[in-house]
Amino acid sequence: MSNDATGSSVPSGRWPLLIGQAVIALIGLYALLGSLKLGLGSALGPGAGFFPAVLGIFLMVLAVLWFLQGRATPTEQTEAESFDGAQVGAVILSLVILAAALPFLGFQLSVFAFLMYHLGFRARIGWVKAVVISLCGSVGVFYLFTTVLHVSLPVATLLPLSMIGI
Amino acid sequence: MDVLNELMMGFAEAMTWQNLLFAFVGCLLGTVIGVLPGIGPVAGIALLIPLTLNLDPAGSIIMLCAIFYGTTYGGTITSVLLNTPGEAASAITAIDGYQMTKVGRAGVALTIAAVGSFIGGTIATVGLVLAAKPLGSLGLLIGPPEFFALVVVGISLLVALAGRSMVRALISGALGLLISMIGIDPVMGAPRFTFGMDRLLDGVSFVAVIVGIFGLSEILSYRPGKNQTVTQTPGLRALLPTRTDWKRSTPAFARGTGIGFAMGLIPGMTGSVSSLLSYGAEKKFSKYRNELGRGAIEGVAGPETANNAHANGALIPLFTLGIPASPTIAVLMGAFLQQGLTPGPTLFAEHSTLAWTIIASLFIGNVLLLVLNVPLVGLWTSILKVPYPILAGLILMFMVVGAYTINFSVFDVFVMIIFGLVGLGLRRLDIPLAPMVLTLVLGPLMERSLRESLDISHGSFSIFFDRPITMVLLLIALVIVCSPLLKLRKPAALVAEDPES
Repeated sequence: MSNDATGSSVPSGRWPLLIGQAVIALIGLYALLGSLKLGLGSALGPGAGFFPAVLGIFLMVLAVLWFLQGRATPTEQTEAESFDGAQVGAVILSLVILAAALPFLGFQLSVFAFLMYHLGFRARIGWVKAVVISLCGSVGVFYLFTTVLHVSLPVATLLPLSMIGI
Repeated sequence: MDVLNELMMGFAEAMTWQNLLFAFVGCLLGTVIGVLPGIGPVAGIALLIPLTLNLDPAGSIIMLCAIFYGTTYGGTITSVLLNTPGEAASAITAIDGYQMTKVGRAGVALTIAAVGSFIGGTIATVGLVLAAKPLGSLGLLIGPPEFFALVVVGISLLVALAGRSMVRALISGALGLLISMIGIDPVMGAPRFTFGMDRLLDGVSFVAVIVGIFGLSEILSYRPGKNQTVTQTPGLRALLPTRTDWKRSTPAFARGTGIGFAMGLIPGMTGSVSSLLSYGAEKKFSKYRNELGRGAIEGVAGPETANNAHANGALIPLFTLGIPASPTIAVLMGAFLQQGLTPGPTLFAEHSTLAWTIIASLFIGNVLLLVLNVPLVGLWTSILKVPYPILAGLILMFMVVGAYTINFSVFDVFVMIIFGLVGLGLRRLDIPLAPMVLTLVLGPLMERSLRESLDISHGSFSIFFDRPITMVLLLIALVIVCSPLLKLRKPAALVAEDPES
């Protein structure tokens, strides 16, 4: 709790909640403004912006109600989940790099590197095991999808990788 | 007699070797998803939708339905052997199931659970056969205003029952509707919320959004236990229940079927609610209620029967009215739509053979699961011995493959990553995810029916009050939304035990 001597009336644990409420209200405002540009409709019927405009107003009202509820019951117990920031950062960053690399390096090489990072570096399951699983997960899955299931996966576009058909 | 003939035709189609193979593979994949920690049935089914896009519609839906009820079987295995439910609906089974494992009766618990699941699933499918025609023809009387009102009832029920705060559940539902509006407006053709990106003109991929919100965010927030649990695989001889076990389980099978089937029909009720209520019924009515919590077979038989009866019963509103009763069914409905099929009364009118083939495959799938699950218990437990980091790495890889193969575009992988973070934020704020899935799928249908209704009435909202069915349905929705005032909310104990919501 941070109801400290400086007189701040917001406990530190409530900041994420307040930010969340503000974000919801802003999404509602954005939807409303975007809908007004699209047009709400005419005498013949509703336009493209009608439904999103209603939703935008609805979201803003809900955000205000949520805020008021929080003020009325400041000690309300929620079941909000906590998470490990380092794990989230590592997984998201690796996924972004993988997605960015797929069109250039192809599925096999980029997924091999992705799995090696997660199994070899992060989980430390042993290099031999990590290499074997990564090969199965990259080369094995690539051939399973492209040859058996006839679902194409990206191949490398960078030279010389593209020349050897990776 | 007509129904029987059509069902027989459905069996003839469902029993081609290709469809049997799809059902078999679906059962296996469903069980694996049920067994695996860190991936629930919603994300699991969404993840596998791209794999079925190249199949014919019947094969695709047969496989996804088999995955759907396979997860309910699979979740039981971890509940009984590890005291860790693989999915929410099997959580209550862990109480008595794990106690039975501790005294060396794991095999009996798994067999009774499989038989109960088979009985519950089969009887609920019989219910679907009987209800399909009458409810389907009733559904044909429904026009756009009635459909809009019906969707509003479905969403309001799910919102009212989804979590501790109705405001947060409504926010989740409204966000899902807004996401479903991205892309070209279905009536006027104007692009909406596309941020100038051509790729968003077709909207965001429903599969990428679901996999991100349910699957990736679950992996991001998952914290495996520090102690590696040792799993004991029961031998084949240990799988056979005694005559007393069968005798004691029979009334629990009957009660579980009734409760699961009835709850499955109500939108918003998830399988975990059925299994909890069934456990409550055993506590109240079983002759051996004093033994519950200490390894009583009724504590396994009742809930397991109930959750499978629920899973199959929940298909009735989907097949007959086109309304998904739970998030998992909403994902299944998304798969129907991806195949160009609209679930509901028109399904029986326009694709009668297909609809009956799928229903027949439900019977076949239940038999397959019964035959497969118990003898293969060793295989399922061996999956549990794989360390979590390896599973997580491979699940992440399959998520990327699933998101990529929807449109063969890396863009969808980025959409999945963004919605993974959105899902994490929603979990952090304790906003339930279930209403969002439902509105994401129903959003376009809801908007279309609203706008068609208003087009019919030249923009007048009186159309919703002039038609008696619409009026009654909207009044029901209003009562449901006002339920906190009327104290109709789901009991707190059920909310806390229902991670799916």
